[in-house]
Amino acid sequence: MTAQAFFIGFFGLASVWFGIVVFRTYSMMRSAIALLFSQTALGAMFLSMQAEFLGVLQIMMMATEMSIMAIFMVMFMMDPGGLGEMDMTHQKRLSLIAGFVSFVAAVAVAVFVDWGPVATTFPDAAQQTVDLGLELLDRSMLIFETAGITILTAMIAATAVAIQPVKKGDDK
Amino acid sequence: MNPEISMELIIALTAGAALFGVGVYGALSQTNLVMIMMGVELILAGAMVNLVAFWRYLHPDVAAGQMFVLIVMTVMAIEMAVGFAIAIARFRAKGSVEMEEAVDLKG
Repeated sequence: MTAQAFFIGFFGLASVWFGIVVFRTYSMMRSAIALLFSQTALGAMFLSMQAEFLGVLQIMMMATEMSIMAIFMVMFMMDPGGLGEMDMTHQKRLSLIAGFVSFVAAVAVAVFVDWGPVATTFPDAAQQTVDLGLELLDRSMLIFETAGITILTAMIAATAVAIQPVKKGDDK
Repeated sequence: MNPEISMELIIALTAGAALFGVGVYGALSQTNLVMIMMGVELILAGAMVNLVAFWRYLHPDVAAGQMFVLIVMTVMAIEMAVGFAIAIARFRAKGSVEMEEAVDLKG
């Protein structure tokens, strides 16, 4: 086993383990932190696969995203500290079966499909970033711009939905 | 199983499958909207691992592979923004984001 395979496996295992911890703990803060660790381990896994740009982007984005999520968890949960050990699950058996079946099906596809020859040459980190930059400004420009506009629309829609409704007579 | 297939690719795809499975369990079993969103995040993370692995081990010369990962990250950000907006609206209206209490949303 190569060092790369070892580190991909290690960070993959860490990511899955912290993903499981998200749903095993009663504390909502621990859930949010476990998800942050899971996503960070994923970023480290990307770095192990020599996808430097994507790895760093993943760690930066998810650190911010999960910090916001932790704040919302404390705001909205009935028992954010988990001291009451409230069970906030339903249809557990069905969910376990669905999760396990989807895992087995995806592993079967990964193992039994002939993915073709593995690439022998690989661009270095600087070349990857150059290639991605050229791709974004060339063939995929429309897709990238559409993604930007969609985020902007989602932000406006989210603000419109979340804003406090003004009662009649209050708007002076 | 193809003997020429890369061990690294199989490990990455298995990790992606496990993340997907855990995400499916979370999205289906949790009753709180924020926890359901965490499950969806894990499902998308599983998809992202697969995309990076396919790009790295099968087509590293095609930069569009990285582009797909950026699109999934965009979907994650949008899901968070819209999901939290709905959570705020629901909390303001009913004082809770428990989905078992949201039967009034049923069509």
